Amino acid sequence: MKTFNLPDLGEGLQEAEIVNWHVKEGDVVKVDQPLLSVETAKAVVDVPSPWAGKILKLHGKAGDIMPTHTALVDFDIEGGNAPAMKSAAKVTSVAPVQSKSQPIAEDSGTVVGNMPTGNELVTETAIIRKKQKQGPVHVKALPSVRILAKQLGVDLATCQATGKNDTITADDVRAAASGTRDVQGRTSAAAGRMPAAAWDLPPARTDINYGVAEPLRGPRRAMHASMTRARNEVMECTLFDDADIHNWAPGQDITVRIIRAIVAGCRAEPELNTWYDGDKLERTLHERVDVAMAVDTPDGLIVPVLRDAGRKNAQQLRVDLNRIKETTRNRTVTPADMKDATITLSNFGMMAGRYATPVVVPPQVAILGTGGLRHDVVPVLGGVEVHKRVPLSITFDHRCITGGTACRWLAAVISDLQKAH
Amino acid sequence: MKTVASFEIKYQQYLDPEGKLTQKKLPKFAENHDELLKMYRMMSFVRVFDTKSIALQRTGQLGTYASCLGHEATHVGIGAAMKAEDAFFPMYREYGTQFWRGVKPHEVLLFWGGDERGNNFSGPAHDFAWAVPIATQFHHAAGAALAFKLRGEKRVAVSVIGDGGTSQGDFYESLNAAGAYQLPAVFVISNNKWAISVPLSAQTACETLAQKAIAGGFEGIQVDGNDIVAVRDIMEYALHKARSGKGPTLVEALTYRISDHTTADDATRYRGKDEVEDAKKKEPLIRIRKYLMDIGVWDQKKEDKLLAECTAQMDAEVKLYKDAGKPPIESMFDHMFANLPESLVAQRAAAAAEGQQHG
Amino acid sequence: MAKVAMVEAITQGLAYELEHDPAVVVLGEDVGVNGGVFRATSGLQQRFGKQRVMDTPLAEALIAGMSIGMAAMGMKPVAEIQFSGFIYPAVDQMINHAGRLRTRTRGRLHVPMVLRAPSGGGIHAPEHHSESNEALFAHMPGIRTVMPSSPARAYGLLLAAIRDPDPVVFLEPTRLYRMNKQDVEDNGEALPLDTCFVLREGEDVTLVSWGAMIHETLQAAAKFAEQSVACEVIDLATISPIDFETILESVEKTGRLVIIHEAPRNCGVGAEVAATVAEKAIYALKAPIERVTGYDIPMPLFKLEHDYMPSVERVMQGIRKVLEA
Repeated sequence: MKTFNLPDLGEGLQEAEIVNWHVKEGDVVKVDQPLLSVETAKAVVDVPSPWAGKILKLHGKAGDIMPTHTALVDFDIEGGNAPAMKSAAKVTSVAPVQSKSQPIAEDSGTVVGNMPTGNELVTETAIIRKKQKQGPVHVKALPSVRILAKQLGVDLATCQATGKNDTITADDVRAAASGTRDVQGRTSAAAGRMPAAAWDLPPARTDINYGVAEPLRGPRRAMHASMTRARNEVMECTLFDDADIHNWAPGQDITVRIIRAIVAGCRAEPELNTWYDGDKLERTLHERVDVAMAVDTPDGLIVPVLRDAGRKNAQQLRVDLNRIKETTRNRTVTPADMKDATITLSNFGMMAGRYATPVVVPPQVAILGTGGLRHDVVPVLGGVEVHKRVPLSITFDHRCITGGTACRWLAAVISDLQKAH
Repeated sequence: MKTVASFEIKYQQYLDPEGKLTQKKLPKFAENHDELLKMYRMMSFVRVFDTKSIALQRTGQLGTYASCLGHEATHVGIGAAMKAEDAFFPMYREYGTQFWRGVKPHEVLLFWGGDERGNNFSGPAHDFAWAVPIATQFHHAAGAALAFKLRGEKRVAVSVIGDGGTSQGDFYESLNAAGAYQLPAVFVISNNKWAISVPLSAQTACETLAQKAIAGGFEGIQVDGNDIVAVRDIMEYALHKARSGKGPTLVEALTYRISDHTTADDATRYRGKDEVEDAKKKEPLIRIRKYLMDIGVWDQKKEDKLLAECTAQMDAEVKLYKDAGKPPIESMFDHMFANLPESLVAQRAAAAAEGQQHG
Repeated sequence: MAKVAMVEAITQGLAYELEHDPAVVVLGEDVGVNGGVFRATSGLQQRFGKQRVMDTPLAEALIAGMSIGMAAMGMKPVAEIQFSGFIYPAVDQMINHAGRLRTRTRGRLHVPMVLRAPSGGGIHAPEHHSESNEALFAHMPGIRTVMPSSPARAYGLLLAAIRDPDPVVFLEPTRLYRMNKQDVEDNGEALPLDTCFVLREGEDVTLVSWGAMIHETLQAAAKFAEQSVACEVIDLATISPIDFETILESVEKTGRLVIIHEAPRNCGVGAEVAATVAEKAIYALKAPIERVTGYDIPMPLFKLEHDYMPSVERVMQGIRKVLEA
């Protein structure tokens, strides 16, 4: 007696429903004669007989759901050995002619093959270690030296490392084995240790390659180039003042307000929103205000541009600022993002600093520096009050901007910044 | 059987090899003599450039160079019809197109002189650099045209290929896509009859190369590539069509490669002298010069003056090329990525240090 | 937070970028109405329209070449090659142009494109649908090659790849597409490129792997943990350029290294890892470096596929070798 199990009808399906039998117990069948129709998740399918013989038992009835590889039909095989049942029986046809309507084919998510599908929910940890410069010191020895140490029964931790780059040599191992040298802890590095601190200071940072000349790259190179040009070309002059924001309505975005104030300044005095060519003695005033935002990153100073600030409302400015923050964090700011600014904002106050002499970046002619918000004591009507103020420093290129123009620009900026909304 | 499709290919010419008009009505730009003179001047400069470049190579001052001798009308005609905001995707011979669009002659010399700085065009910001792998540039043009279409820009991508290049898979794939997407593109075949040593007759069974456009589902036109008026006329037609959203065109410009394939080739090995001499009689500068003289806007004195100006201009460009020197070693690395990986930072330092040692 | 399989995480990532960056365009064969043959772009054309999610004619060189043209004109094409086995016609465009255009023009033009393809075997597929060819791309200058090994990393690394201003070949392990699910928050946070991920910490042996083999590697590590051997499992994630900082630090700690990859052994990426570790950390090694890899034969048809691919047992044999050295 041989049992025919429900075959894998393809694509890893786990079960099938018996639609109806084409044979009954006691029938004699030929190879490939259709035995039954089953419905899988995808379609209704005829299952042919793998053998010739007599049907002894049917293991299910119409409507039953049979798991793949379980018993389906028992056969009495006539005359001799039946061919071994292949575990993946071929399906000869998809039967279109059933009284049931075609089931909606379930999406298998592939056009070829048999993709393992599971619903197991995985949790994992994935740690990023890159950027750590210093780790614990480990014993350094060539594999051949380690084998020697093993043979001589020497613990490498007890060897003094006299080789290049603090490596343990074969001689060091032999010396330790024969005990001719004082055993000293190899981790002492006593000669190189810094003297104990005289003050209660934090230790020196360990993520820096001290004493190694490193070539400048990326933003640092760019900063060197642009600052050198600025030094060579620009006639810098800086004005300092404060904006009193004590009567601001609550919940305002300070960076957005500063950008708006810059636009207000440029509307009053567009000469500060200008490109100046000191060789040709030409200047190009711009209507559109593209503000370069100086951003401090671990790689150095980068200056992505916030475009067309004058035509954006507060929400749009905030979206742009967030995008700048994100692309800076992802290091995906492109050179195109940093080109062609008309004026620069350096908002340095978050760390320390009230006023500054920020550097104009040619061909621009102006840069506004905003220092940390301060609570200052101010005289008011014969008394004193404490008001929140924004320190402002505007450097302008005196080759083409007069002091008066710069003052009027600053006055417009302050006037806008001091508005409640 | 019934016929379900047939095709016809039209051919355009205004000036015969003698400079005589073959049609009564000229295109609008050709009625403007200043415009014709501008194009003639550029063709003449290209001729001077080409002659000098070959000389530089033969004297060891330039690497292998691909001459454009005989192609001046095709190349200048393409450039003159294009707008600045269009984008150009050359193979490696179309200096006339590129000079018209603002590429500097010394930039071409830098490229053949083994210096990537030549590809950093000071002029057209979006034009692609020379494409050595044959026919690959057609895909780039198709992609750019798709970008223009998706963004609703009225810009056209123009690319040039040789007769040999029309056998490449990339040629067919690009044409097919251009037709399927109805791209704002103009594909130009500079059919100069030779793909190094393989003549057109061995390259294909097609009667015309323009008919390969039929396989892409769009129009193919043949033009006398040595007739500057006809080339610009058909290019303006095709560019206008593309810009108006009416899809791509394949333009086959019939010309002849009077020179060797490059300075590393010797064409006498595979073609006869008579054919070349015959082609020289039909070359593009002769006919436009004769026409301009016939209508009284040009003469030998002006010709001599132009030649002197072109020579002086070329000499200035050669000086810029020679003064460029060797690029800094670090430049091999500086433009690999926007964010240079650590491994390349280390390699860059090593290469620079190595370079300093050996000078 | 959504519990998604890897292929769904990819769809999520594509949708995020399509929504937030108007320059992003998805293109490829059958990516539109059909949503991709693996459903990686499922629903995207319906949501974003035919101008953002486009079907292309059947031509891989065209897909890569057009992406280069589009990218150079300021778009960010994310192109799909249906199977990494069909990527070879696109290699011409990738190696000759995508990886070179920025340096060739000294920065004037550049190519912010992504080329995605399902990669690797184990899905009972016909011939040519199970290739592992990451080493081919790793050897090309100017191209980054990335291979995620979990739904979360597929999402985060895909976002990074799309946002990167240079070409990225993004190979997705087909066997992992639907193997399991993970919570992946659709917050638009990219993971860093050029960075390894330590999936399991340990002091005894370092296991470096990528793609679907991470699955077998983690299983082997778990089995060794039962015997009190602590394996450190590192997912390369960015196949090129490799984050050697993480690998070297680990090898300095453990002194033993096993590299596991499905791709053929000869000149596979494992060779690059082994050579660099030997170059920079030989003094830390307590045993020779071991590679557990596919054989130097074409991927066989699927009857023998699991005999070709490194099994958990083969990985464990490799680990035993370095422990007993």
